[in-house]
Amino acid sequence: MTVSELKDKLALKVAALPYPEREISGVYIGDLLSWVMGRANCGDAWITIMSNKNIAAVATLADTACVILAEGVEPDEGVGALAEEKGINILLSDAGAYDTAVAMSKLL
Amino acid sequence: MKELSLNILDVAENSYKAGSRLTKISIEENGSALTLTVEDNGSGMKADVLRGVTDPFFTTRTTRSVGLGLPLLKMAAEGTGGGLAIESRHKDDFPDSHGTKVSAVFYTDHIDCPPVGDVVSTVVTLVQGHPDTDTVFTHSKNGSVRVSLDTREMREVLGDVPLDTFEVLSWIKDTLTEQYSEIQ
Repeated sequence: MTVSELKDKLALKVAALPYPEREISGVYIGDLLSWVMGRANCGDAWITIMSNKNIAAVATLADTACVILAEGVEPDEGVGALAEEKGINILLSDAGAYDTAVAMSKLL
Repeated sequence: MKELSLNILDVAENSYKAGSRLTKISIEENGSALTLTVEDNGSGMKADVLRGVTDPFFTTRTTRSVGLGLPLLKMAAEGTGGGLAIESRHKDDFPDSHGTKVSAVFYTDHIDCPPVGDVVSTVVTLVQGHPDTDTVFTHSKNGSVRVSLDTREMREVLGDVPLDTFEVLSWIKDTLTEQYSEIQ
């Protein structure tokens, strides 16, 4: 499933979508960025409630397919534009991390 | 980082990489404020680099050796109501007094404040990894030093015995553990 398809199927909002056709191969959930950096896999959709610019850097290093901000969290000012510039997809979910992941498990 | 001691490890590694000959690490507790300081006499940074070190993309893309350590440390400190301060003097501009000082303030009564963690192992790891340079560690509470280690003093006693020999590292571990047990 691509990031664009995920966005449509779960009706997620978009903060940045420079690579809509990026394939999602798994899901990782975590908020401690230093931990996520070493454990999220390439191609994962990474679900978090963190919203500052460091998430774009961690997503770059871990090469995740997209970041999903859960619980209705909005990215901090400038983070959407930064993500577009750096080629990081960021989607927004009103559901919690668990419910978002459960919905995704039926699609992956 | 789950523990502050891992931040110490990360920041201090930057100091050694910058060619520091004397790296001073301190933990100071004053009430609920905990200040973590790493001060070195390494090459230092010029103003344009210094401005960028807490920008994750500046650090990961341009000066990869700095890493994401400082942006994450800043975020962790600010998350408890504290903050991060960095001062640096580059060796080209300050040939006799160059170096970098990183200070992070955490408020330990904030729910998001990480535990201090295993500082003893951190200090042992740093000495073991950089036996040819000097490391000073102090942990003070309300102005009085409670735990301390200074490899310069150790060298006076050890003579030519390297710091990274098993017996020396074991002694460091034991003396720090003992000092910590007295302040618990």
